[in-house]
Amino acid sequence: MISTIAKFESGTLLRSPQMWAICAVIAAIFGYLFLQSLEEFLKVQPSLALQDHPPGLTGFLSARFLATLSPLFSVLGPLFAMRSFSDEFRHQTMALWQSSPVSNASLVLGKFVGVLIPLLLLALLAAVMPAAMGLIVNIDIATLLLGALGLLLVAASCAAIGVYFSSLTKQPMIAIVASLGVVTLLWLLGGASFTNPAMLALQQFSITSHLSGFFQGYVQSKDVLYFALLTALFLSLTVIRLGSLRNSGNQ
Amino acid sequence: MSSDPTPLLQASDLTRMVNTTAVVDNVSLSLQRGDILGLLGLNGAGKSTTLKMLAGVLTPDAGQITIAGHSLHDDPIAAKQQIGFLPDQPPVYPDLSVAAYLKLSAQLRRVPSNHLKEQTDAIMERCELTEVAKKRIGKLSKGYQQRVGLAQALIHKPAVALLDEPSNGLDPQQMQSMRNLITDVAEQSCVIFSTHLLSEVTAICNRIAVMHNGKLVHNQRADENLDQLQNLFNELVQKESGSAIT
Repeated sequence: MISTIAKFESGTLLRSPQMWAICAVIAAIFGYLFLQSLEEFLKVQPSLALQDHPPGLTGFLSARFLATLSPLFSVLGPLFAMRSFSDEFRHQTMALWQSSPVSNASLVLGKFVGVLIPLLLLALLAAVMPAAMGLIVNIDIATLLLGALGLLLVAASCAAIGVYFSSLTKQPMIAIVASLGVVTLLWLLGGASFTNPAMLALQQFSITSHLSGFFQGYVQSKDVLYFALLTALFLSLTVIRLGSLRNSGNQ
Repeated sequence: MSSDPTPLLQASDLTRMVNTTAVVDNVSLSLQRGDILGLLGLNGAGKSTTLKMLAGVLTPDAGQITIAGHSLHDDPIAAKQQIGFLPDQPPVYPDLSVAAYLKLSAQLRRVPSNHLKEQTDAIMERCELTEVAKKRIGKLSKGYQQRVGLAQALIHKPAVALLDEPSNGLDPQQMQSMRNLITDVAEQSCVIFSTHLLSEVTAICNRIAVMHNGKLVHNQRADENLDQLQNLFNELVQKESGSAIT
């Protein structure tokens, strides 16, 4: 059942001309940033060669190109998810799902996976650009895939935030503004220089402090767990919200 | 009517509150195979809320619903497999084709994949949608969209069909086809449909219930006390608006 809902959701996204326009702009941004990073590498290569352990092309591109894309992916997640439930409310189609033998958890997971599919394709596209350099130089594919995983995890958790806010309103614009507010807060927590121990603890909840490892070629289980929990939290809140809709009747 | 005495739909003491007002107040219904219940009432009588509760779209504040032996509260997945629901606004996606939408509806209702095409084709034929199968729903007239909504509710051959004002937007010929369809469906199932037109329920229903202010004020076989029903309904209409519309 989850796969049926996911197929429907990703199909809805892929049928939308706006989605293709967004993807075209994103592909252009990817290309521009990739060429810029490559040019930068060629510029700094002589000075890098003097270092004891200089980063290779893969490490450089992962840190300079893929890492730069992570804020973009944290916007794309809510952007793709903003219509997942709000459109159902606006078009009065929720009754189709609510009267079908589909649990709220399956519905939320299906919608989430449907949003995740185009995000996965974009994360792979981002990794394919540096991987294409493998045709002329040696490239560490594992490092690139780890970077793509980082992009996918940040996009997935931000998409879960978007799915939740879309379940709160009929207006996709309100959903995306609210989602981006939370996402921005999660980014800012990592950038602030707190001295208070309580505020320092807050930094553990920031996206930044759990994302950098993915672009430096290593991953810690606590970082994966952070994104998994963030995603699970907002998806669970969405399931609770859908349950409360049946009680309140307000959509 | 079947000889099987087990009701396909059993609802007891359904109540739904909005703030402190009961929009549905202690409504009980029991339907068996072959029953076509016309739920009659003026706007705001509680018909749509009752149907939404029976379909599992809304949770009742009190009362129990059993569909084909499955409690809607305790075993919602099994119960909902036996429900077909057409809300007052057909839940259709304008950018999907009729065939794609009905395929999705069948999949959601767990129609086995090897029967998908067969059942989709069959319901399109019964609802006279075959000629528009490849058209986008958003391009269809209101009458066609209503028929698409009706098709999604019946595609999985539900034991209980709940239809909220199914004749909305249909012309007289389409209305007659819809009545024939409901009569066919009721051979294997039970049907509840809501309307505010007395003539519509007397045309095809074998049971008639009248709701007023959330309460069931009449619930009898269609061939019993028709005059009393007519008087009651006229009285309700006059009370609300001062003019009869039957």
